[in-house]
Amino acid sequence: MVEVRRLLPRGYLFTVLGIAVGVAGLVALGAMAERITRFIDGGDRFVRGQISVAGEGMGMGTGFTAGGLLRAARIEQIARVPGVAAVQGQVMLPLNPTTSQFLTLTQELILGLDPAVRMSNREFRELPVREGRALRAGDRGVVVVGADFAASRRLRAGGALDLATGRTFQVVGVLDKTLTAPDRFAIVPLDDARDLWLRRDPLLVQVFTGSVGGLGRGDLNTGAAVAWADGVDPDALARRIQAEVPGLNVTIPGELSRLLRQSTAFFTALLFGIGVLGLVIGGLSLANTVTAAVFERIRDFGIKRALGATDGQLLREILGEALGVSISGGLLGVGLALAVGTLVDARGDGQQLFLFSPRLLGFALTFSVVLGGLAATYATLRIVRLSPAEAIRRGA
Amino acid sequence: MVVRARGLSKTFRGPDGRPVPVLHGVDVDVKAGEFVAVAGPSGCGKSTLLNLLGLLEPLDAGEIWLDDVCVSRLPRRAQCGVRGRSIGYVFQSFLLIAGLTALQNVLLAARYVGRPRPSALAEAQILMQRLGVAHRADHYPAQLSGGEQQRVAYCRAVLNAPPVVLADEPTGNLDEGHAAVILTELRALCRERGTSVILVTHRADAAASADRALRLREGRLESQGGEGHS
Repeated sequence: MVEVRRLLPRGYLFTVLGIAVGVAGLVALGAMAERITRFIDGGDRFVRGQISVAGEGMGMGTGFTAGGLLRAARIEQIARVPGVAAVQGQVMLPLNPTTSQFLTLTQELILGLDPAVRMSNREFRELPVREGRALRAGDRGVVVVGADFAASRRLRAGGALDLATGRTFQVVGVLDKTLTAPDRFAIVPLDDARDLWLRRDPLLVQVFTGSVGGLGRGDLNTGAAVAWADGVDPDALARRIQAEVPGLNVTIPGELSRLLRQSTAFFTALLFGIGVLGLVIGGLSLANTVTAAVFERIRDFGIKRALGATDGQLLREILGEALGVSISGGLLGVGLALAVGTLVDARGDGQQLFLFSPRLLGFALTFSVVLGGLAATYATLRIVRLSPAEAIRRGA
Repeated sequence: MVVRARGLSKTFRGPDGRPVPVLHGVDVDVKAGEFVAVAGPSGCGKSTLLNLLGLLEPLDAGEIWLDDVCVSRLPRRAQCGVRGRSIGYVFQSFLLIAGLTALQNVLLAARYVGRPRPSALAEAQILMQRLGVAHRADHYPAQLSGGEQQRVAYCRAVLNAPPVVLADEPTGNLDEGHAAVILTELRALCRERGTSVILVTHRADAAASADRALRLREGRLESQGGEGHS
């Protein structure tokens, strides 16, 4: 505290602390809004990066491959549609089927992929691996987990994971944080995912072992991601697939993006509310603190006027001090918010609540300096209207 | 510098909004190098008169001249220059800035008149040495005694060698010893520099030591005093 006092203009310690509290509130609320925005934007990028296809009907698939079983023959038909560059069959299952599935924003998922087939999503060509490695062709019994998934279970590469089915997988990689859905994924080889699906769905086992309709293992797909060739309009291609391949649920990327935006409209409104709240709380706190600090020194300004200070000299002097105090308070507030956010995010359940983006921190600092300057200017203009004697009397 | 005031009037608003007249058409003449005391009972308008003469308070009526310039009619910015260069103030409650050291408080007088810092610093150190507060240069006002604070305030008032010094009860919060130091310095200012000093005081000895004593009663000038005033 003694060191902090030495760095600040004398008499301004509590002003700086007051500003810091306001800025910390603004930054913390903003960081939560940034976090949600990144999540929604990530989902939007994902749906715009691929054409998601599932079989007709309900099925037990989840997430973006929700729909009926997508048989191998259908996948081959899709691949032959002009404009299609690649089709990646997938199995996507809820990690815990008893969890309410409508809460898809935080749902943990098992994603089965064939590592031999290139990722079909243009926005996520490959998922960044923080530790260990990605899945390789020929892998079995291994899993790559998302950052939040790993954090909530304290998983590291080389560890073991029971995917709630009594079957243990070796963790070979942990993904870097994406701040969107893959953070909560457990990615396994496609054949392993098919096994997990069969283990947890007795009806499917009966159908499968009875060879009803000639089902084979290759038919066990909850969906597929379709990539388009360069220059192809994805929405038009999705409609072409729908028209040319019967028995499919095809999502139109543009429409899905709009739907996602509509379904997250509540969150958008919430973010707007949080942003406005942060600005009002932080702004009022900051402006009030700076204005009060200037008015508190009204006697000093009266003395300076008596010593010959002009309005301009006083204004420059006060603005200079307000700038120093606002920057100090802003930096301290950002530091405070970072410390609190880091502590909260380290609580161990893997959920990251705050995202302190550079744009947020830059905005908070600029906001505090500009508002601090405006508040100081307002207070100074009020003070210079007074005669020196009146200012000294009021400050006595 | 000759100080001439004609018909100075001032009315304040009371808490209930009613006008409270404080000065009624007061005329004052002070010659260059003259030491004039302003005496009178509490509430008679002594401090208000000093504030008006020092351009610290706007006039309701009247004029104030310094030599041949009507300073009360000058624009706001020019009045700031007059306050900084031509008038020095010593107040009863010292009015030092708490966040500045003794030396910084003294140098404040030079800041707003554009004096080069080196010459102001050298002069401030000499003044503080003379007043016996040089060893307290780095202390803040709260770390100084009342006598020391008033001596620092005096150094600030005379740093720019103003031709007029206005002192409002400068010894009111001081013991005899410190009061004598301040009065001696004010007297020396008139004698050595030809400064016009106007001193508001309740102290009979202070008024007696002045060249002349103006007596105010209920906002009117009762007596202009004179050589060998009583």
